[in-house]
Amino acid sequence: MSTPIDDDQIEIIQEFVTESRDMIEQLEPAIIELGQDSDPEIINSIFRLFHSMKGSAGFLEFDHMTRVAHAAENLLDLIRNGEISLVPDHVTLLCAACDFAKEALDMVENDYIDDAMVTPADEISVRLHDAIEVAKGGGKTDEAPAAEASEPAPEEPAKQSASPILDPNALPAIEITDEMRLSFVQESNELLQNTEQGLLEWGDNIGDIDFISDIFRNVHSFKGNCGFFGYSHLEKLGHQMENVLDRAKAGSKLAVENPADQLLASLDVLQRGVNNISDGKDDTVENLDQHLMDLQKLIAPLLGDFLVDEGVTEQAISKAVETQKKPVGEILVEQGSASTVQVTTALKKQQETINKSKAAAKPAVRTKTPAKRQDIRVELGKLDSLINLIGELVIAENMLIHNPDLKGLELENFNKAGQHMSKLVRELQEMAMTIRMIPVSGLFRRMIRLVHDISVKAGKKVELVLIGEETEIDKTVIETITDPLVHLLRNSLDHGLEPPDERLAAGKGEKGTITLSARHEEGEVWVTIEDNGRGLNKERILEKALANGIIEASEIDDLTDKQINNMIFAPGFSTAEKITDISGRGVGMDVVKKNLEKIKGKIDVYSTPGEGSKIILRIPLTLAIIDGMIVRVGSATCIVPTLSMLEAYRPAMDQITITPDGDELAKVRENFLPVIRLHEILGKKPDSSNLDDGILIVLEYQDTRFCLFIDEILGQQQTVIKGLSNYIGNIAGVSGCTILGDGNVCLILDVGTLIESAENKKRKYEAQQELILKGGIRG
Amino acid sequence: MAEATTLSNYETEDTQKDKYLTFHLAGEDYGIEIQYVIEIIGIQNITDVPDMPDFIRGVINLRGKVIPIMDVRARFGLEARAYDERTCIIVVNIDTTEVGLVVDEVSEVADIPEADVEPAPKTSKNNDDNYIQGMGKINNDVKILLNINKLLFSGEMLDLIEKTED
Repeated sequence: MSTPIDDDQIEIIQEFVTESRDMIEQLEPAIIELGQDSDPEIINSIFRLFHSMKGSAGFLEFDHMTRVAHAAENLLDLIRNGEISLVPDHVTLLCAACDFAKEALDMVENDYIDDAMVTPADEISVRLHDAIEVAKGGGKTDEAPAAEASEPAPEEPAKQSASPILDPNALPAIEITDEMRLSFVQESNELLQNTEQGLLEWGDNIGDIDFISDIFRNVHSFKGNCGFFGYSHLEKLGHQMENVLDRAKAGSKLAVENPADQLLASLDVLQRGVNNISDGKDDTVENLDQHLMDLQKLIAPLLGDFLVDEGVTEQAISKAVETQKKPVGEILVEQGSASTVQVTTALKKQQETINKSKAAAKPAVRTKTPAKRQDIRVELGKLDSLINLIGELVIAENMLIHNPDLKGLELENFNKAGQHMSKLVRELQEMAMTIRMIPVSGLFRRMIRLVHDISVKAGKKVELVLIGEETEIDKTVIETITDPLVHLLRNSLDHGLEPPDERLAAGKGEKGTITLSARHEEGEVWVTIEDNGRGLNKERILEKALANGIIEASEIDDLTDKQINNMIFAPGFSTAEKITDISGRGVGMDVVKKNLEKIKGKIDVYSTPGEGSKIILRIPLTLAIIDGMIVRVGSATCIVPTLSMLEAYRPAMDQITITPDGDELAKVRENFLPVIRLHEILGKKPDSSNLDDGILIVLEYQDTRFCLFIDEILGQQQTVIKGLSNYIGNIAGVSGCTILGDGNVCLILDVGTLIESAENKKRKYEAQQELILKGGIRG
Repeated sequence: MAEATTLSNYETEDTQKDKYLTFHLAGEDYGIEIQYVIEIIGIQNITDVPDMPDFIRGVINLRGKVIPIMDVRARFGLEARAYDERTCIIVVNIDTTEVGLVVDEVSEVADIPEADVEPAPKTSKNNDDNYIQGMGKINNDVKILLNINKLLFSGEMLDLIEKTED
């Protein structure tokens, strides 16, 4: 840019970068879709996206981006007009253009210029141009059949999307396509917005001719467009507004000092009309005549009309108007064409009429037509601190309501107020959580591009099916699962799906299917990646696990399918015979697991040999707040997530069975569930270690159920999960902590790892016993 | 604005230089650099955390923040002593990690210029495990100056952190 960049510009550029990124995100899936099905609607949408990008880039003088977008637009326009037909190469080229734009945006974001992109921009534009030439030339390359099918391209240059509207020389019988209508709506919205902006500032700019001219021009263009499209109602209303503005522009009086309100009311009518058109309805404006009349009233009656009534000749008046520096009446008197009395009477009459009009024009109430949807961009940091604050609020609320000072007091009104507050806090919290939630569609759509690229590289045919795109997940969670999803999809494509010939040999369709779905289940969000490929190769996994020392040969027989499947997540694990540039280094799956652990998610792997595999990412719905049951064992209190609790009861001794291994089993109806003693995990001394003195809580995690032995249940509470300090790190059996009403820290139990933790404890204990035993023998 | 910040940074650095918070532990005087110290609080209700080395006593709630507590006596393998009203928790912050250190008694903030600091004595013990940064002399008194980083992150703690990261 020629001028030094100031903060405002930087802001505009940043806005541009974010917007363009969003656009590219939409572009990519659309382009891939285009490759499969050249629906004109898709071409149009891609065209529009490139067009808007070109427009914004052009405005900010990012010439190289503009050039590329323009070239892409040309190509698309030709395809759209049916002048050339689409070949797979075009899809690749358009993807390349997207990649270029991404790169350029990165650069722009950092340096605010795109000058460094000159070489790639040249390259891409040339490639796009070549593609156009080749397609136009017909039959020069291998794409001959495709090119032949299309008609030879006419000489006229590619039309811009906006041109049909602005070009008054277009054929009169032009058929209005949906695309044109859309352009009209887009442009009209812009024009009306500008007009509105102008009118709102009217009061500050009274008498500023340039300012009014600006508004006038906007309305004028709008009227022109309406005329071209044959929207006569809108045209008439626009014309009337134009008249009013013309009068204001010429500096003559209007019936009211500030006509902006009335004009805005009319503008709203226009906006409604445009909205109707965008919804596919016609442009009929109800009460058009009324609106026209309202505007007419704004135009102050001319003094001349009254003077004629008084017997003054019209020529004299027009002469006087020529020299309209002084008030008309004064000049006429000077020239002797009218008497002072005549002028005074005329002025009086004018004033009267103006007053009348004023009274009539006033009640124009502005009903704002709501814009379709309004978003504001908020810095994520602000949102995070808001959510943190709400978390603190929940703690503070708990401290207040469960305050130890209140114990034993009868406080009916306080309790009522407290309940009310709890309800509000809870609502506030839920609202805050939803702010952070965004649909997974963006993430899923990004995968379309990935799957396309990989399938081309790996020479496999694949269809990607997306289900549940509207499912909403926390934004940070989406960011965290992006990499895992990429890895999992790559794996499915590279290892899971077979090449077409192998699939045919196995009696499957040539085209493989990968299903990516998201849904709510058991208080979690499940993101599933399912393919119908060859499934996991159990033998190879075991072989590899043995070779890598992950398992011992003796263990193999004891392993469940689930355990074997889970081995693919071990670091450095890969069964691929050769490392391709897509996958096979054995880093990916490890990352998948780690990222999911970060957000307390879990992975389930299911596989049927020959039929495919299914990987489920189970993500907790909220990371911050859970309902918990406070339990006590000895001096320690802990929180058990209510979600995983099935029931709690005081066992009778005859319900407990002790196996020869020393494992305790509790009989819950017809099932025997293992008992885990919480005091052993926490290393605390319980009130009593007899099971029938305490309480057993039946907990369920995934498909495993077990009983947790505690002293007593203290109550239920909504808790804000806080991480234990990084310094301490992850602890088996504990997912975090919270702060109780009395200010003490309380651990939150992690049901998933409790079992693991209990088993470890037991193993350690047994090893110790063994050592003691051995030592005893030796001694 | 930028200048002002640099200046104030400079000033704070300057005012904190050579200053040590000294405390008593089992009859000896220790010092830690004042720049790491956030605040000193009395002993509080500590919540146990399972599976921790015994010198990590648990966590406390410090105005809504959850802070782990290390018993420095236990860390040094000294004999345990019941907490009393003189027992203090020194909250230190190192690279955004906040940890509370339980000490017998906090004494004062002492000025020990660099010239008065002797290098740590070489002992037969593993040098990596040496928490001593130097010996500070004030008149006839000797303060053992601790290296907070080593105190917090070496030895068993390092193993624990590595284990978690794996």
